[in-house]
Amino acid sequence: MPFADSPQREFAAATEWAAGRALDALTGAEGAALLAAAPEPQAMLAADRVLGPDVFAPGLLTGSPTPPETAARVAEAFLLFPADWSEVHAWRDLATAELLGRAGHDVPVADPPPPPGPDESGWQRWSVLMAQLSGLALPTLDGPVQQLAREHVLALARGASRSMLRRDHRTATRLARWLAWLQSTGTPPLLELRPLLRHLALTGDGSARTALDLAVADRLAAA
Amino acid sequence: MNETLSADCHRLATRSLEWLQRTHEQGNGLLPPDDDIDVSDPNNAYKPIGEAALAASLVLREKAVLGPAERDRARAVLDFGWQQLRQGELLYERQFRNILLSDPLELYGHFHRSGYRHAPLDELLAGLDALRSTHALEAMANRRLATVNARYVIGLESRPDWDALAKTTWLGERPEPWAIDWITGYNVTHAVFHLTDWGAVPGRLPEPMQDYLALWLPVWVDIWQETGQWDLLGELLIVDACLSESVCDPQSWAQLASVQHEDGLLPRDLDPVDEDPARAFKDNEHTAVVGVLAGTLTLARDRR
Repeated sequence: MPFADSPQREFAAATEWAAGRALDALTGAEGAALLAAAPEPQAMLAADRVLGPDVFAPGLLTGSPTPPETAARVAEAFLLFPADWSEVHAWRDLATAELLGRAGHDVPVADPPPPPGPDESGWQRWSVLMAQLSGLALPTLDGPVQQLAREHVLALARGASRSMLRRDHRTATRLARWLAWLQSTGTPPLLELRPLLRHLALTGDGSARTALDLAVADRLAAA
Repeated sequence: MNETLSADCHRLATRSLEWLQRTHEQGNGLLPPDDDIDVSDPNNAYKPIGEAALAASLVLREKAVLGPAERDRARAVLDFGWQQLRQGELLYERQFRNILLSDPLELYGHFHRSGYRHAPLDELLAGLDALRSTHALEAMANRRLATVNARYVIGLESRPDWDALAKTTWLGERPEPWAIDWITGYNVTHAVFHLTDWGAVPGRLPEPMQDYLALWLPVWVDIWQETGQWDLLGELLIVDACLSESVCDPQSWAQLASVQHEDGLLPRDLDPVDEDPARAFKDNEHTAVVGVLAGTLTLARDRR
């Protein structure tokens, strides 16, 4: 049974379902995602492609291994949905490919150019770009994007504050996740994370993806 | 400072000052003819006279920043206000009858800075400065700083503990920068204005607060620039000018300068400017003051 009346809506609904599953796995909760019917196989593959590294988030944060069938499905999604070569997707794909490689699945990925820093586009635009890359804020992942985050903590903290003031809580949550990742790896985040995350828990946008970002941030902040 | 920023600041200040003087000449900003001034009346010109005098007094303080024509205009704005206040007599009467009010002291400070004197008021204020009562008044922290700085400008004897006063402000707590609102934004700006005496003594702003502003002032500037709150944007840029070094993007001054009308009116926000000149004056005179100060004090900081 398709979730919706168009592939885009079906894939979006599947992504929410998959994010809910990841959230449940991370928090140990029996969430609403389990009550809903699983997406169609192709939609599930699309969802895996969208979530990218976050499919592996529960395993990386709890220490429980990612189920082999999950890793195999993500590898299959790479073949079914080729990369679109956009900057954000290329970096997400690279991170996903690394995690797949650890699970024994080698998938072809491009070697994206170095990501730009905030000096080129300003901290406002750059922080939004980094919010789109928040899936890379996971334990054991490290590379040029994470290095950029380390070098530009202030731009991330300003971006998080700006997003809060603009009531863009999704972006704020994603940037808080980066700040939590920095804290977990020994870099002071410049913003106090506890009050920020507590407030974001009340103002979330209601989506499972944002709830997953927040749960990851909570875990990282507590690490 | 690059040439574009310098030009933006100069244009912003000179055109705002010109607009202020011209609108006064056109009959705006006059006090009612009777002696009983009600400062709580929003249609009253008492507060705007003080604000225009503040801007003009700082143009004269920073005399090397703008040209002789602007200094003449500033003097004309101060003369206009002093004449409206009946050479200080109105301030004296108001302070004499209401010894715990701070507005006569604050307004007098702007004129005093530029050489205007009212001897009986000087004597009255010196006596009030010696009272425990005046210093124990309960007020918002940034309002308390306004009176303390006015006493400093006039040269009264009391010696405040600036650090202790700074700590009582919102800014002194260095709060979560995302938990600020519009009115708190104004409270922040005024705390900085008075602590630094409008940029003249930046070191009076405690270092932790300077560091905090260096981190977060650009965020607040970005937010109120995006929402077209030109008055608050201008005030935040004055805060930048009160710091030892600029922390904001020069593009913000360019944005503020770009919204100024051909006749020099600087709109307070994105709302349409009222077609009635008297209404337009009342709505936007404060932003003209902000324009004069943002331009003048940014240029002045560069010369220190």
